[in-house]
Amino acid sequence: MEEILERPHYSQSEKEAIFNHEFLPHINAMYNFGYRLTLDRDDAKDLVQDTYLKAYRFIDSFQQGTNAKAWLFRILKNSFINDYRKKSKEPSKVDYQEVETYYNSEEVDRQITPDLRVESLSNMIGDEVSNALNSLDVDFRTVIILCDLEGFKYEEMAKILDIPIGTVRSRLHRARALLKEKLSHYAKEMGYTKS
Amino acid sequence: MNTPQEPHKKKEDCSNQNECLKLLQAVLDGDATPEQREHFLKEHLEGCMPCYKNYNLEVMLREKIKTKCCSEAPGDLMEAIKQKVSQLASR
Repeated sequence: MEEILERPHYSQSEKEAIFNHEFLPHINAMYNFGYRLTLDRDDAKDLVQDTYLKAYRFIDSFQQGTNAKAWLFRILKNSFINDYRKKSKEPSKVDYQEVETYYNSEEVDRQITPDLRVESLSNMIGDEVSNALNSLDVDFRTVIILCDLEGFKYEEMAKILDIPIGTVRSRLHRARALLKEKLSHYAKEMGYTKS
Repeated sequence: MNTPQEPHKKKEDCSNQNECLKLLQAVLDGDATPEQREHFLKEHLEGCMPCYKNYNLEVMLREKIKTKCCSEAPGDLMEAIKQKVSQLASR
């Protein structure tokens, strides 16, 4: 986050109060974010636990009155990239830069025109939306979770993800197009569409 | 050429659908200016069928994500974290 010039030094009881009242209440959102990043419930637990321990250790760099949830999400995201992805046996399949360049090309705007109908979507009462989201590349899943589920503003997302706000905007646009494309495939498979 | 629209009759084609979709997302995500928001929701949607449909779809998609894509932390996780933190604190 921003450079903090005067770093607070919290007393032991202040630390506990911040941790219990400002950090722990976000545990469900943190777990869900961890799960959507790793797609594994045990890994999500480990990631969330590591994140909270880091948050406690570095609590002096948290400024009271600022957005604790955004601060925690940023630590979790960094832990995922620095620790989890390195440990993970599965190598990163695609170079994100290539994906970003591809999905930002005008060509894709012409290609992705999901014909998902609101009626088909309303019929999806099972795991379709969750599965479709999980099938997207991790960077696309992430922006949808942060924006639609957690309600972060673009500026907060830019800080959590360390990317420019314009990239947040374009990544979200692609992510939603890809999600709708996936859902329209499901709709066809399930016979929700008339064709 | 623009033909006068009958009241409540929406045009079937949007000449600028991709740009409109970007604007729609900005409106729904709270990233649009009040003027953009006002124009899009009160004027553009009233007259444009593809954008009206997209609006309903985007709203529903967000609802589905909110209701279908959240999971609660396992019950023992909070306790496990508290325990580890108190170990850290007592060091």
